[in-house]
Amino acid sequence: MRPQQRKKLGYIFLAVLFFTCIYSFSGEVLAQEKEEVAYRLKWLFNVSVVGDLWADVNGNFAANGLQVAVKPGGPERDAIKELELGRAQFGVASADQVIRAVSKGSPIVVLAQLFQTNPLHWIYRPAKSHFKSPADFKGQTVGITYGGNDETIMRALLAKYHIKENELNLFSVRYDYTPFYQGKVDFWPLYINAQAPIIGAKLKKAGEQYSFVSPDDFGIRFVANSVVTSRQMFESRPDTVKRFITALIQGWREALDPANNERAIKTILQSDKETPEAIVRQQLPVTRSLMMPAPDFPFGKIDAAAWKQTEEIMLSQNLIPKPVNVEKLLKPPVP
Amino acid sequence: MQLECKNLKYQYPGANLHVFKALSLQLPGPGFHALFGPSGVGKTTLAKMICGKINGYTGEITSNDMNRILYTYNLERIPGWSSVREHFELNTPVANRHIVSELIHSFGLQTLMESRFAQLSLGQQNRTNLTRYLLQDFDLLIMDESLANVDEVTKEKIILKIKDMFSERCFLYISHNVVEVAKFCDQIVVLRSHHQVPQAVILTGNNHKNGQPLDKHALEHTMLEIVHAS
Amino acid sequence: MLHRRIYQFFIIYFLGLAALMVIKYGLSLSDYVIPSPAEIWQTARRFFPIYFVAVINTLSVAILGHILSICLATIVGIIGRLTIWVGSFIRVAAYNIQAYPIVAVAPIIFILLGDGLSSRLLIAAMICYFPLLLSFIGIFSEPVYEIEHFFESTLKMTWWLQVKIRAFENINKLITVIVGSATLAMVGTIVAEFIAADAGIGYSIRIALFQSDLAKILVALFLIGVCTSLYLVWLEWIGHLIQKRWEIPEGG
Repeated sequence: MRPQQRKKLGYIFLAVLFFTCIYSFSGEVLAQEKEEVAYRLKWLFNVSVVGDLWADVNGNFAANGLQVAVKPGGPERDAIKELELGRAQFGVASADQVIRAVSKGSPIVVLAQLFQTNPLHWIYRPAKSHFKSPADFKGQTVGITYGGNDETIMRALLAKYHIKENELNLFSVRYDYTPFYQGKVDFWPLYINAQAPIIGAKLKKAGEQYSFVSPDDFGIRFVANSVVTSRQMFESRPDTVKRFITALIQGWREALDPANNERAIKTILQSDKETPEAIVRQQLPVTRSLMMPAPDFPFGKIDAAAWKQTEEIMLSQNLIPKPVNVEKLLKPPVP
Repeated sequence: MQLECKNLKYQYPGANLHVFKALSLQLPGPGFHALFGPSGVGKTTLAKMICGKINGYTGEITSNDMNRILYTYNLERIPGWSSVREHFELNTPVANRHIVSELIHSFGLQTLMESRFAQLSLGQQNRTNLTRYLLQDFDLLIMDESLANVDEVTKEKIILKIKDMFSERCFLYISHNVVEVAKFCDQIVVLRSHHQVPQAVILTGNNHKNGQPLDKHALEHTMLEIVHAS
Repeated sequence: MLHRRIYQFFIIYFLGLAALMVIKYGLSLSDYVIPSPAEIWQTARRFFPIYFVAVINTLSVAILGHILSICLATIVGIIGRLTIWVGSFIRVAAYNIQAYPIVAVAPIIFILLGDGLSSRLLIAAMICYFPLLLSFIGIFSEPVYEIEHFFESTLKMTWWLQVKIRAFENINKLITVIVGSATLAMVGTIVAEFIAADAGIGYSIRIALFQSDLAKILVALFLIGVCTSLYLVWLEWIGHLIQKRWEIPEGG
């Protein structure tokens, strides 16, 4: 190599080194500015996580000094396990998951309750099945997912109304709705905010009327999704927890504000490319009513009585061996 | 009954070199003839062309009155599920059943009849395989090193027996052994490399038969001719 | 053979369990993430009879599915041998269908057949069928020239004789493929039960997953391992008998 060439290569090397240092330094500065946390959701990106997406996209987290990796959930994801393994700092879990985990020694605390009414309902055809009270389940075929929340809720409902299992037919359901469409099953469990508009559209197309049974209407208050963190996180990083939950609740309030309806739909559609906009438009008001029963409702409020009832239901069905004193886990959100 | 190859030209698909460029030869008819030549010269290829297993050549192969041409080689096997006897019984045409025992005795197969093919030695396997072909209906049988693993004494007995029993049929015996080719064969086709012209030279062998004296000088002369030609 | 396979499975299973315990106690994880040995033991005592019946149910469907796929693969393998075109078409079709994840195809099967035995059977057969088919097509379309030449030259060759020759000559390969695909049949059945059935150990695992109960899953895995090992040993024994029947000492 000639000396001139060597000199040229030396300059290039120095320039690369310089820019690498600058880049790393600026990255460090940015990282120092915002605290990084991971937030594992319960389900895939859909209408039920609109506030989580909003807080991320519209800068609520950033405004509170946080850089949050919002990760979609799924059937095989368990936010509580991820909290324990340190892969996430915050997560969304259903109340039964939380109670089960705590009964097995998992150090979890509840920061906010997302749904005030459990979205799990049963769809039915009024023309075929008359329903006024759970006593009308007698002689009907009722779908449940064995091992799922809906089994626990239905069993609690049946127990409350003194209906024995042999007085109705329980049908093991899957994601395929064919048995309901075919009329083999009279009552089919679904999430009223996410699935009902899709199933309803199909029934309407077939010229059929439908209605829903809400266990909440009959006194079964089984809590659904809640925001959780580990007890260690809650105690050792209270400021981070406070900033996170503040940002999250801000995000949810804004997302559910009817004035922001269009932006909220846009936010969902950006992440959920599978669901048609027309369906999302139907899903959002239902979700709003389940999370914000009144316009001035304090979003995220933890319904301690409902949590207590959830624990009692699980205890009565031997899903947990002994009480967990669920009220001790509830750490209400910052007003 | 005669076999004639005219101006054969052939190269294997994908190969650069021709196996044959302008091969011509003629065999007169019934008799025990030989196809001789060094390894790789195209003996097996020519045999497969004659029996119709290789096509795609130019030139012409005519085999007047030779409708049933069979080709056998020394690596063939009998299915493992049956004994030699069962195989012979199942695969011998009714018209030829009267010669089965004669061949079994002449080829020394009596003690092997209940055995499976895999239990036989290589020489025994060669003899068994050749026997089942001899029991078929054929006009020309091409024997591609069919007795390669058989000892010299037994081989001589077998060849002489074949010449005795099937004097009206035509055989093409492929071998590398100059002595046996010169001694037993009638016409000897010496196949040469494609650079040499002509590619095939036909010599007359000693055609030694049972009960005939062997002219050793003539044999030596034929052997020399073969060596010179190849 | 039985003894060896079972204790090898025990070694693997308990090594896996030990690794889980190292992680659990090393990272101070709760019983919710990884159950304690005492919980696993209690779950085993409580659920063993239920899970045993479930796993036998699964095994019987797996065996049926396996037999079904062997028969199908033999038939299609024989048809695929006929011409180069048919053979290559079936091979391409097999590769393509195998490339579809069963969870994507399963809903169609459930719509057509419901969520009873037939769906479980079909999915089990589908999962173990294609590896079998590819091997069978390979074996049945590969000529054994040294044997077939005589029958072809003397015009005695029939399709049945050709299949018999090729199967006989590749009997060890066939047995290996059949034994190997047995585990796939078991996996297929479990997947089918997991996705849609309302019986069998796959269904039990699904319920346990809903309840985040790893102890139940570990008990189920133990029983699946033992039953699969027993089935494999049984198949190997059958294969051994077949091989012994055709075994011929080499001559000299």
